[in-house]
Amino acid sequence: MMDHILSNIIFLPLFMAVILGAFGANLKILKIGALFSSIVTLLLVAWLTYHFDPHAQMQFVQNIPWIQKSGFSYFIGVDALSLVVLLLITLLMPPLYIYMYHEKRKGYWYNMMLLQTGVTGAVLSLDLVLFYLFWETMLLPIFIMIGKYGNGMHQYNAMKIILITILGSMSMLFSILYIGYMHFETTGVWSFALNDLSNIVFNAKTSIWLAAGFLLAFAIKIPLVGFHTWMAPAYGSAPTPAVVIMSAIMAKLGIYGIWRFGFGLFETTLVYYAPTIITLALIGLLYYAVRAITEENLRKMFAYSSGSHLSLIALGVFLTNEYAWSGSLYFIATHALASAGIFLMIGLTYKRFKTVQISSLGGIASKAPKFTFFFAFFALCIAGLPGTGGFVAELLIIIGAFKANLWIGALTATTMLSAMIYIFWMLQRTLFGTSNNNIEYPDLTMREMIMLLPLVILLLATGLAPSLFMPIFEPHLNATLHDVMIAIGGLK
Amino acid sequence: MIEQLFLALPMAIVVIGAFVLMLISQSKRFNLDKLNLVAVFFLAISLILQYLTLGNHTNTFLFENIFGDSFILDDFATIFDLMFTAGAILTLLINNDYFKSRNYFTGEYFTLILFSVFGMMMLSHAHELVTAFIALEIASLSVYTLVGYHKNNKISSEAMMKYMVLGSMTGAFFMLGTALIYGAVGSTSLTAIAIYVFGNELGDMTLLIVGASFIMITIMFKIGAVPFHTWVVDVYHGAPYPITMFMASTFKIAIFAIALRLFLVDFAPINSFWTEMIQAITILTLFGGSWLAISQNLVKRMLAGSSIVHSGYLLIGISSVALGSELAAPAIMFYLIAYFLSAAGAFGILSFISSQSKKQMRYDDFKGFAERRPYMALMMTVFMLSLAGLPSTIGFLGKFYIFTSAIESGQILLAGLGILTAFISVYYYFKLIAMMYFYPSNTPQKKFPINISTILIAMMALIIIWGGIGTSLIPFIPGADGFIEIAIQSISSLK
Repeated sequence: MMDHILSNIIFLPLFMAVILGAFGANLKILKIGALFSSIVTLLLVAWLTYHFDPHAQMQFVQNIPWIQKSGFSYFIGVDALSLVVLLLITLLMPPLYIYMYHEKRKGYWYNMMLLQTGVTGAVLSLDLVLFYLFWETMLLPIFIMIGKYGNGMHQYNAMKIILITILGSMSMLFSILYIGYMHFETTGVWSFALNDLSNIVFNAKTSIWLAAGFLLAFAIKIPLVGFHTWMAPAYGSAPTPAVVIMSAIMAKLGIYGIWRFGFGLFETTLVYYAPTIITLALIGLLYYAVRAITEENLRKMFAYSSGSHLSLIALGVFLTNEYAWSGSLYFIATHALASAGIFLMIGLTYKRFKTVQISSLGGIASKAPKFTFFFAFFALCIAGLPGTGGFVAELLIIIGAFKANLWIGALTATTMLSAMIYIFWMLQRTLFGTSNNNIEYPDLTMREMIMLLPLVILLLATGLAPSLFMPIFEPHLNATLHDVMIAIGGLK
Repeated sequence: MIEQLFLALPMAIVVIGAFVLMLISQSKRFNLDKLNLVAVFFLAISLILQYLTLGNHTNTFLFENIFGDSFILDDFATIFDLMFTAGAILTLLINNDYFKSRNYFTGEYFTLILFSVFGMMMLSHAHELVTAFIALEIASLSVYTLVGYHKNNKISSEAMMKYMVLGSMTGAFFMLGTALIYGAVGSTSLTAIAIYVFGNELGDMTLLIVGASFIMITIMFKIGAVPFHTWVVDVYHGAPYPITMFMASTFKIAIFAIALRLFLVDFAPINSFWTEMIQAITILTLFGGSWLAISQNLVKRMLAGSSIVHSGYLLIGISSVALGSELAAPAIMFYLIAYFLSAAGAFGILSFISSQSKKQMRYDDFKGFAERRPYMALMMTVFMLSLAGLPSTIGFLGKFYIFTSAIESGQILLAGLGILTAFISVYYYFKLIAMMYFYPSNTPQKKFPINISTILIAMMALIIIWGGIGTSLIPFIPGADGFIEIAIQSISSLK
């Protein structure tokens, strides 16, 4: 089992879904099976993390030919970068299944299992075609979940998200095909493995177009401002587990893609794009924050807040210095935990009040203290409260930004301020004051607390003891950064 | 002579089957079920015999002392024959319920299917232009009749008239082209034409080029390339579902049998003459077809429109061939296999559903389909994903090879436009998926009927997935590599 541990981690949920589907499992067995698969993958990832060597590059690599005639390979491996995202995925799945405890629609459970396979595969693939396969695979469950189980104009929004994201992935496909062909042309062998393709030397003009293909896909996924039209409607109509995955994992995969494939294939070209992306990210930072302040719908508000923070992460990645990079990767982790927490809380709010409009909430604090505590805690994590992981990460990115440029630093620092504004104002209107409805509702149940506690503990741990986590990925990040700097320096 | 007979047996069995069916269909003792079985029996024997000849006899002329070099037997033709017979068998078996649900089907139906299969097989073996013309007309005439089979139905009759008048006219272009080529070469044999083309300069062959262009018009018409596409949507709509399935999946491929033989071998040196023309037609076809597919309300008409787009992708392959891409020819072959499987599956499901209700199938009628028939919906999704070219299906690999061949031949723009239309196609294919899954059903879930139709459809869905992700590392089960192998084998026998 441990020989092919990564394959097991990727395919266990899918395998479980296929088995359960083939035998037409009833709801109870389906629930147990899904939870079981998520816990087993969590244990496998824990084992993996324990045996992970922070100073080595790719580990647990598995590279077997897949479709030999066209040079596709089943090439997977894990390094510090993918380990962080992998940990997030597997950590978030069990709480999501606990959240879905009362869910009676079977399709929901199957889609979640398929989704886990899709995102895990995308994180671990090192072959471009394999990556593309998982990148599209993770879209289908999201499409079905928004369209079938969503609310509002969900059919329309599902179509919108799939069309816009597929536009991005088709442009990426074009670049993948072109790069693959260039490899064939220069070496006479078909290959789409990342380490083969990174040896190709592009001329400047071609590489700008090729990088654009990838960047479009990732910019839509993040989404950078200008590519964000799908975001608020999709977050608004998606069911809670889908929103959690979209904001906590899939948006991060856009950043991960830039890191892995952007910097893996065209370091120098990304430097060419850096001013554009940094500008877009800065605009996004402010624009999303303003939208979040004015937004009435809690889901959409945190969609914009998530957009704002992801712009910050994208900014950090393109600043290419060690503070910004460590901060970005750290923020990927902490923001995923915090946004998962807050979207779960919003889901619980919806279950109780059947609405997430701020104007129809209020006065929760007096009736449900535990609910208030968790809600406020996750919201403050989003705002970057000192003592939580988000604070450390944001601080690192801001330091990195100041190191790069005073103005960028100053603008970046506003993100903490604006987050404080919308979070505190929102908390005041939703939790405190007088109630705007007469609904009787219970406080958090034991099951809900069990689901949320791991997130709280992890957020506090990442905030209070960053030195526990940083050493896992810092050596690798610094080494990669070093390589990138050499490549860029070589250009000068 | 005996060995020659054996080699010609697959074709002969089909035509014998057609005559046998014609005779026994008059007997009261044979109902549709039995006639269907007899037809499938003959086709299956032919299929097995073709499989046996595959790879053994390359480039033999059949009955050389009687017919000269009119009929060639190579793997290229045999692989096409395999697809034709398989397509016909699938059409007959999947639609068994449909035949019984409509009262207008009679025994002649099976005869006509077998005759058209015979015509198509002859077309793939034809190594002489007049033979090719006769073969094309045998297949076409059978299909014209089949399109108008529901003779009391106005739409069906209209479709038949439209198709027959236009089809015969473009058929005349083929004949005219043949005459002109005969004027230039002094022979209609492809061997003689190839010798003539290789021996002359491009500027000295005006007559032949004009003739070949006329032949190209017929081919473009038959595959539904824009601007020769006006018939496609109406004819596909008017024909009964089994016939639409047969036309879209099988008959369309048959045209490529002769087109590829001409363009890959005989006209290869003069391909550069019409590269720009093909490129222009390709772009028109891609976008015209997309426009047609987007604007339809009926799923059948959408699939008809989208079949034009798929012709566009195949034309990208043909223009890459003209520009000297080595990957292009196997890519076209692979795409044909992929399209054959996906289109046959999609139309198969449509006709299976319509065998149980008499509704027109609009997009709206698919609302709640996933709740009524979860497994059917799942298979339909697989076919849609494959047609849209999403990864993990064979359709993705098909597009993958076509686009890489376009990039290889330097047609970056065409590859880009192809990917753009693939993106547009996501809209109309996913619309169907959205209809199936996003709306609740007001009728209760139906049991998944396990009969020959559903088993075959399920098998095709599995083949599509395995053809997209299957690795050849697993022994005894050929994966995607196997399909590529077949494509390469068939092209390399074409010399």
